[in-house]
Amino acid sequence: MFSKALFKQSVKANWIKWLTVTVATSVMLAIVIIVLGNLAINDIRDALKDVFIQADQESEIKENSIDSYNLYLTSLDTYSMFNFLGFVTTSYDNAVAEFESENGTKPNEQQKQEIMNQVATQFSSLFPTQNGVTSEDVKQVLITILTQHENGESLDAIKLSMENWYYNTVYQNAYKLQIEDGKDEKTAVLNATFAKMVATDAISKYKQDASAEGYGYKRDDYLLIARSYINTKMYDNTYNLLKNVQGVAEEEARQYAVATKVLANTSISTYELWINEYKNAGDGNVTEEQKAEARRLASESISDQLPEKVAEALTELGNMDMYGLIIGSIFYRIAGLLLPMVFVIMTANGLLAGQVDSGSMAYVLSTPTKRRTITVTQMVYLIFALFTMFATLTATSVLSVFIAGGNNFAINYAEILLFNLGAFLTMFAFAGFCFMCSAIFNRTKYSLSIGGGLTIFSLVCTILGLFGSQVVPSAMRINAMDYFNYLSLITLFDTVSILDGGLSYLWKFGILFGVGVITFIIGIFRFDKKDLPL
Amino acid sequence: MDDIIINNLTKDYGGGRGIFNINLNVKKGEVFGFVGTNGSGKTTTIRHIMGFLKPQEGECLVKGLDAWKKSSEIKKFVEYIPGEIAFPDLPTGTEFLKSQAELLNLKDMKRADELLKRLQLDTSANLKRMSKGMKQKTAIVASLMCDKDILILDEPTTGLDPLMRQTFLELIKEEKAKGKTIFMSSQMFDELEETCDRVALILDGKIVNIADVNKLKDTSSRSYKIEFNNVEDYTKFKKLKFKVVRDQQKYNQVTVQIAQSKINSLFEELTKFNVKFVSEVKFSLERYFKNFLQKQGGGKNV
Repeated sequence: MFSKALFKQSVKANWIKWLTVTVATSVMLAIVIIVLGNLAINDIRDALKDVFIQADQESEIKENSIDSYNLYLTSLDTYSMFNFLGFVTTSYDNAVAEFESENGTKPNEQQKQEIMNQVATQFSSLFPTQNGVTSEDVKQVLITILTQHENGESLDAIKLSMENWYYNTVYQNAYKLQIEDGKDEKTAVLNATFAKMVATDAISKYKQDASAEGYGYKRDDYLLIARSYINTKMYDNTYNLLKNVQGVAEEEARQYAVATKVLANTSISTYELWINEYKNAGDGNVTEEQKAEARRLASESISDQLPEKVAEALTELGNMDMYGLIIGSIFYRIAGLLLPMVFVIMTANGLLAGQVDSGSMAYVLSTPTKRRTITVTQMVYLIFALFTMFATLTATSVLSVFIAGGNNFAINYAEILLFNLGAFLTMFAFAGFCFMCSAIFNRTKYSLSIGGGLTIFSLVCTILGLFGSQVVPSAMRINAMDYFNYLSLITLFDTVSILDGGLSYLWKFGILFGVGVITFIIGIFRFDKKDLPL
Repeated sequence: MDDIIINNLTKDYGGGRGIFNINLNVKKGEVFGFVGTNGSGKTTTIRHIMGFLKPQEGECLVKGLDAWKKSSEIKKFVEYIPGEIAFPDLPTGTEFLKSQAELLNLKDMKRADELLKRLQLDTSANLKRMSKGMKQKTAIVASLMCDKDILILDEPTTGLDPLMRQTFLELIKEEKAKGKTIFMSSQMFDELEETCDRVALILDGKIVNIADVNKLKDTSSRSYKIEFNNVEDYTKFKKLKFKVVRDQQKYNQVTVQIAQSKINSLFEELTKFNVKFVSEVKFSLERYFKNFLQKQGGGKNV
């Protein structure tokens, strides 16, 4: 079944071809991995990725600024309402007095409760219901206050307890929203504390400000104060945070802090502009929906402002793996296959059809060598030549990855080994096909045009299909070109699946191996039975 | 049993091409010649004997083994020189002979060296750059170095210069003397005439005649062609009791056949005539087949 002499003949006839193809392909591979590795071709991607990360952060900073700004103002609104607590208690006292004059007796406990409820309901609608405070909450608080008043507590003491209740509510509410937003415990506590601080600072500012005392509070007077307060706080927060981070210079921390301040200022101005716009359009009234819309518009980042398609394309470009594309989809599936293909086409033809066509096979067949021995020996030689070729390529690629940075390199050892295995199996399938054609046809021209022609056709389809495949960013992709991938055997060498860490490449490898095995077997059986013009 | 038996062998390639109902027997130790024009089916027949082609009908038996089914077994006693000379892709003739010896499982290269000396062949030359003659010599050495029982040759002397052709024919005669069975095809009648016991003529895929060369080379009688200077002598001579085998009135020529013992009487008679020339007409296979075809009425050129 195997002839050493014939094997030697094949080695002698083809070793120069083998050497040329192996060296040339190895050099290409080494250049692709080492040289491109040093050029840091993923910089563009990283830069784009940074842009999008920053865009996310930008949105967050803007949202936080607007929320804090609103909190500052509503805290003022809320506290200003505390000045009306005197009205509430007085109203209650008056209501009780009225009850006495009407009924001649003081109200009993249950009647007092009813009066409290009426008064609380009446006043609850006056208090701002933001930052998690509902009118039902306010009503309950007012009832508590009236109870305290009834128990003889002073107005100042009641105010103080109200203030504390408010701070707690702000804290709890901010914490709840942060957790709902998917933030971790630490961040949630930090942000809730910040919110509480904003509320506290707003109210202490109110207290300091004599003009705001009594009934003279005007919200509009505080808009600029609130904005500059938030700007300062954002600056301080960023600066303090970065100052303690190792490797960040003070100058850098300052720059980032200023950038944050600018973002805060911009977003708040934009927010105010939108609110005014809605106010003018709606006769001074702004609905909750409009407020939310103003907040969304004011906190948009770069990527939000781009047209959807462009943003999508840029996002994809940012996520694209340039190394995966160049090494996997371009080198291993196209450039690196070309020379081995030429080797396989020429060698497979020369091993059988070429020798039948020229007539030199007569010398082998005039010795007691079976046809089966010839085909099996030539098949073993072809697989052996391919195997040693890809063993050399594997060694080259592993060495190149080592030089390019080992496991820190964009493509790790496991992936590079799978690429080599895949390329070998692809070539194994083509080798089987070309061998089959070589065994079927007696003429070189048919063997080459069918075996070689379809092999090169596959490669060309893969090149065309590349422009329709997922590895090309959507901005450059022509989806219709993807159909070419269905015409190519190389499609079964799924480099994308290897890089994604999926397992679908495994069964595709299986098919490639199967195609090779079946075509080799068909070739061997066909050669046994055909007429040879020798 | 005969060494090569071909029974009713047919391979129809369509359009009148192919071979049809070939029947041949080559006895052990016999040299069998096969002659015919280009495309008459010589090579196709030989390919069947070698087991390269599958018979459509009939069979080829080599030493009793079916040539198609037992293709590799018959090669144990068959040597072959193909008609087209193309060597495997190896650098030199030496490499080729070494590789061939390996395939033949041949350890002793004494015979090969002897042949190389006889054919004055330097095998160290590049195979691709060899002249046609050198290639042919290399092919002859590659085939004969193994000393097997049956030798099959497809036009083995093409490309050889006349001297080398003679050397080769001597080699064939030596092989014959050793008792080998030889089957050779050729387009040249004289070399077949010189070496063969029997020669088959193949025309358009059919064997039309098998000549027994030994019988035809009848040495007991001779033929002479005589031309006379005038018609009178020519007509007068014809009246004598010599056996005229060919008469060409146009040139005043006659060809007479005469027993060797009676040659003197012919020349005595001729002294009385005005003779332009006398020449001996030797036996020729070519003439034999030509005559045969003329009698068949085909008159085809061979």
